Amino acid sequence: MKSTDRPGRGRQRAVALLLALPLVATAACSSSGSESSSGSGGGSTAAASSCKPASGKVTLQFWTWVPGMQQVVDKWNAANPDIQVQVKETPAGNAGTYQNMFNALKANTAPDLGQVEYDSLASFRLQKGLKDISGCAGVNDAKAQFPDWTWSQVQMGGPGVYAIPQDIGPMALFYRKDIFDKAGLKPPATWDEYAKDAQVLKARGVYITHFPQQDANWFDGLLWQSGAKIFDISGSSVKVSLDGSDSTKVADYWQKLIDNKLVATNLQGFSPDLYKAWDTGKVATWVSAAWGYSTIRDNAKSSAGKWAVAPMPQWQAGDNAAGNWGGSTTAVFGQSQHPAEAAKFALWLNTNPEALTLENSLGGLYPAAKAGADLPALTKGVPFYGGQKVFDVFKQASSQVDTNFQWGPVMTDTNRFLSDGFTKALNGQGTLGEALKSAQTQTVSSLKSQGISAG
Amino acid sequence: MTATNTAAQQLTAGPEPTTPRTRRRNRTWLAFVLPFLVPFTLFYVVPIVYAIWQSLFKTQRTGGLFGESHQVFAGLEQYANVLGDDTFRQGVLRVLLFGVVQVPAMLLLALLIALVLDSAVARLRRFFRIAFFVPYGIPGVIAALMWAFLYSPQLSPVVDLLNKVGTAPDFLGANLILWSIANVVTWTYTGYNMLIIFSALQALPQEVYEAARVDGAGALRTAWSIKIPMVRPALVLTAVFSIIGTLQLFTEPVVFQAISTNVTSGYTPNMQAYAVAAANNYPFSAALSVMLALATFILSFGFLRLTQRRAAA
Repeated sequence: MKSTDRPGRGRQRAVALLLALPLVATAACSSSGSESSSGSGGGSTAAASSCKPASGKVTLQFWTWVPGMQQVVDKWNAANPDIQVQVKETPAGNAGTYQNMFNALKANTAPDLGQVEYDSLASFRLQKGLKDISGCAGVNDAKAQFPDWTWSQVQMGGPGVYAIPQDIGPMALFYRKDIFDKAGLKPPATWDEYAKDAQVLKARGVYITHFPQQDANWFDGLLWQSGAKIFDISGSSVKVSLDGSDSTKVADYWQKLIDNKLVATNLQGFSPDLYKAWDTGKVATWVSAAWGYSTIRDNAKSSAGKWAVAPMPQWQAGDNAAGNWGGSTTAVFGQSQHPAEAAKFALWLNTNPEALTLENSLGGLYPAAKAGADLPALTKGVPFYGGQKVFDVFKQASSQVDTNFQWGPVMTDTNRFLSDGFTKALNGQGTLGEALKSAQTQTVSSLKSQGISAG
Repeated sequence: MTATNTAAQQLTAGPEPTTPRTRRRNRTWLAFVLPFLVPFTLFYVVPIVYAIWQSLFKTQRTGGLFGESHQVFAGLEQYANVLGDDTFRQGVLRVLLFGVVQVPAMLLLALLIALVLDSAVARLRRFFRIAFFVPYGIPGVIAALMWAFLYSPQLSPVVDLLNKVGTAPDFLGANLILWSIANVVTWTYTGYNMLIIFSALQALPQEVYEAARVDGAGALRTAWSIKIPMVRPALVLTAVFSIIGTLQLFTEPVVFQAISTNVTSGYTPNMQAYAVAAANNYPFSAALSVMLALATFILSFGFLRLTQRRAAA
């Protein structure tokens, strides 16, 4: 019985559990007492936090998961010997990086700058993670350079500015033009038409799209388009209306498609299975963001030349509303000793044409800055899409994104609750309407567990 | 049986009379244990105690939505939340159902293979011992990815073949996915458990077999009446390991989440604790982890006590 000292399955799993415990442990440093709010704009900041440049050489840390960011930063470092930026390439935010950032914030070892998606900004602000950089040189003046809706996202319903928009994901409809042509269909202008097209395609053995269980933020984008206001964080208490009439309209619509077996329910978003289904023409459309052009291009290679992009279907004929899915900001974290320099770098990174060009070509970003839409790469036809100038569609969509949409402060949880509800709907054990309702109740209790009054 | 007897003798023998020399020897013993004890305390005991500590608090906020947060003592409130949490209850029931089916099936298979190998020719023995053990050497994530590919309705050659023959089961569907996961776990750990049982078989004294042969017992009778009772301790050990592992199921369902639409965020209690921590709700996550550890402790020790009582009877 000498083999007992080999770590067994149980012990290995115990390690997995214990891996979660240090995460808990790292939260130690500041759990007792209140955290120092070093100018991280909690509540109402009467005056914008002061933002003085340091004298002498400054080194900034920057965490990001944009491919090729190092090359962009090299350009900055060459031109700014006094403000050197060190890049740390991380996995995507929800793949563990946000958790690392939160832990680093607790342990006072957070970087100066980090990539944070729009829907996570409020969560970071809630944990005292963001600096209000509205007092830093050039920040307020930059407002005009970005679409209004992105600026309202980084302001979160108040006077402060908590990040600089980096890229966006205005939504449109990717569709297999060859399949549509063969079926005698035009790209649908309304959601009603989309549902009718779904029936035509189903008769030909093709699903119009897949309903992803994990991509709750995709569904959020559809809610955004419908005019739903799922959160209101302008007051001192959070108003949650996930199951409002607009959201319910969207949920009921997709539930009907699921009930009638017109959408694929067993294809997870971004899975090899889905890519195969795109390639083989089993799934004919994807309502997705600007950055989705590379997702299809890189993963469904054999369908090259067969895709096209059209504006998102509308709820009412003649409407012009688009949703947004994803996109990130460059945020200055609350503990940064050099907010002035960090803001300066963040502005350059997201407005300088050279930087934007590199980020687009290396990282596939669709820039938030208005000037970015005129980059040569974003005004040309794209070979994979039969030479269509697909970015014209997204440029237009970006101008149609609702400015008043707000994210809640516990989006990680909200999206998790939605995804869990989607599972039931896709299994036939529930409906998407019920998913909204349960996400509503669970989000309210999640907010309460963070000490926030909500309703 | 013999082990418990010797332990009992030692207990009744009483302490040795202490002399200065033995006391010095006691201190030397400490020097040898310290290199283990320090990291064990730091990285094992402290985090557990800290998790328990964390689970006794809750977050409160003053000054509106983005105001100051404080941790205030909440007693056992988080534990009440855990017990009242539907997701947790369903998760625990799910892993229990998984364990009740998967653990006996896996151990039976491991025992069978061990018995077959034990009576096989030596050369075959060496080859198969390695062959069955190989899956355990493959990292869990890799194994899960590989199986996910084999289960996938669009990509799997196996599903493709089954479709051609007649109809393929939906391995990643709502009804089957738990058993698809069970299959991966069985594939990974059967060889490992088999090796433990096999080693125990190898250690059995040859005289017993000779006596059995003289009494006219065949191979099957020997296996049933001698080998299996003699490797009982090994079976108990592997069962305890497997119970612990089952309750902490994490890797396989997480990997399957990327390909199946049927794995929720709280599919297993461990996944739920992870997801809750990711949303910065540390007190609740700590309470979940402590409850899970407690359940594991109770189940594995309960099983040990049960088997010991049976052995004594």
